[in-house]
Amino acid sequence: MSNTVIEKSTVIEIQNIKKHFKDIKAVDGVSLNIQKGELFSILGPNGAGKSTLARLLTTVLTPTSGDATIKGHSIKTGKSSIIKLIGVCPQEIVIYDILTAEENVIFVAQMHDIPFKKAKEKAKTLLEKLDIGGRKIWAKKFSGGMKRRLNLIMALVHEPEILFLDEPTAGLDPQARRIVWDFIRDLKNKGVTIVLMTHDMIEADSLSDHVAIIDHGKIIAQGSPTELKEKHGSENVIEITFSEKEDLNIVKNQCDNISSVNNYNVIGERTLLISFKGGMKNFIEIFQKLILVENINDVETMNFRQNTLEDVFLNLTGRRLRD
Amino acid sequence: MDILDKKMIVIAIKNLKDSFRRWEYYLFSLGFPIMFTFLFYFILGSQGISNGLSSFDYGFPGMIIYATSVGTVSAAIGFASDKSSGMLERLDTMPTGRKNVFLGSLISESITLTLQIIIMFVLGYVILGVYFNNLLGLLIGFLVSLLFGISAVGMGIIIASVSKTPQIANGFSLMYYLPILFISGSLMPFESPIVYFTPPYWAKQVYMQITVMGHGLEEQLYSSSLIGYTAEAIPIPIWGGVLIIFGFTLIFIILGIIIFQKKTKF
Ligand SMILES: Nc1ncnc2c1ncn2[C@@H]1O[C@H](COP(=O)(O)OP(=O)(O)OP(=O)(O)O)[C@@H](O)[C@H]1O
Ligand SMILES: [Mg+2]
Repeated sequence: MSNTVIEKSTVIEIQNIKKHFKDIKAVDGVSLNIQKGELFSILGPNGAGKSTLARLLTTVLTPTSGDATIKGHSIKTGKSSIIKLIGVCPQEIVIYDILTAEENVIFVAQMHDIPFKKAKEKAKTLLEKLDIGGRKIWAKKFSGGMKRRLNLIMALVHEPEILFLDEPTAGLDPQARRIVWDFIRDLKNKGVTIVLMTHDMIEADSLSDHVAIIDHGKIIAQGSPTELKEKHGSENVIEITFSEKEDLNIVKNQCDNISSVNNYNVIGERTLLISFKGGMKNFIEIFQKLILVENINDVETMNFRQNTLEDVFLNLTGRRLRD
Repeated sequence: MDILDKKMIVIAIKNLKDSFRRWEYYLFSLGFPIMFTFLFYFILGSQGISNGLSSFDYGFPGMIIYATSVGTVSAAIGFASDKSSGMLERLDTMPTGRKNVFLGSLISESITLTLQIIIMFVLGYVILGVYFNNLLGLLIGFLVSLLFGISAVGMGIIIASVSKTPQIANGFSLMYYLPILFISGSLMPFESPIVYFTPPYWAKQVYMQITVMGHGLEEQLYSSSLIGYTAEAIPIPIWGGVLIIFGFTLIFIILGIIIFQKKTKF
């Protein structure tokens, strides 16, 4: 799925942009280049500044300093040109409660100068595609997941070439999430440039061409999901939750003596994450040295898995994306 | 920049759908003028004054103006709700145009206002038999109160533009609406040149002189007294008063578009 043939061209260029709310540095000097047709994720925990960055790029907020351009238009001076190019799905569900799903979509389409008849057809197709079609009830009676999908459709009924999605799958059940992911992939394959704000590492991993990890308003790493996982962590992870927190310390001290262990992180009081290189052979070695040799009480859970973007974040910050 | 953008109409229709589908709308927006008219009737209806007319007959024009002024408050609250729900921000990321949002809301609120005035007219003039001199005068009275009401709605939207939440908008609009009704002399006589700076004074005065006293547009306006016969004439004809109301309305609309474009920040 790589676009090696297509010549790269930057559509969004962010230059040292900052947004401070009094003494809160919500976005604190972000510089990024986003290429045409790529799905670019901004991954970060709650409060990292994702939504603020999205609101800056979509011209809702004005930056404290710095600038960004979308297809050459500055977000500070080119608002009227930019809003014709973009579609925006806000993190909050912003729909008209007392209108039906179809009426909501048609209304938004009309704001984009799409004539009523065409808007109605488009609304019908899109609503069916995301599995909320044919309902004549008011949006306020929808389930949370249905509202979320309606929220998304309202961002793209006008087929924008650049799409900003701020946590479009928050609160969706796994099945609905999959529908939305497939839908987003579809859009990407049609050539839409997508900027996705998310704290869901699986979402970022499975959808993105490029991921920028944001924390405290700053980009702390970026690259393709594979690049990030290679660079900031090792291939595999053992995650152990102990019954007794004393056991964690015993095992932790042992880690330093094992050559295949790259590093380890403690989460909370009883969970230890050990990153190591090599496959099953090394896993067994570590397992024996740590668990079997030491006479520790009991292990609540243990799993052995491949490195994820979550681990990348953990290695960079010492914290998890969530909690 | 075209003045009559279609989006403005689309927004107005959406707003009206939103209103007509809520039971609160019928209770508050349409029930209010009914309650208000009856309340006024029970308080003033039996007090005779002169020429066989009661206080109710004299007070009715002021009451209409008072009731239409409530447009300030309801417009401010409605508009501020859109703002706090994130809808205004969402519309801002589309080529909607804030001018269209403002004018669309002005149109839908004015339609509600028209319904309210019609309800009060039917109740007052048809059912409760409020005195009016002639039908043409009544028509002018209707248009004057509508024009005035539009300025009140415009003021409400302006207040909402600078208010962060519906609660703040509610507070500010009441702080505008209540004092201005007293200092305009619309409800109670108030003899002071201040009245000339308030839109409700002109609206009530023109309306009352035309419908109750049967004056023509070319006759002189009276000063602020509620009971027109004892008041002194001022050197402005009634049509001048109409122009002044028109001016206020135009200023509020233009000011509204400007303030709304500049001041609505998120
Ligand atoms: N309008 C505002 N006024 C003051 N502070 C704000 C404002 N908007 C955001 N912030 C602060 O800026 C920081 C970043 O918030 P932001 O909403 O951008 O984070 P986020 O990454 O989107 O988080 P989440 O995953 O919870 O949506 C937070 O500390 C937040 O409290
Ligand atoms: Mg957010």
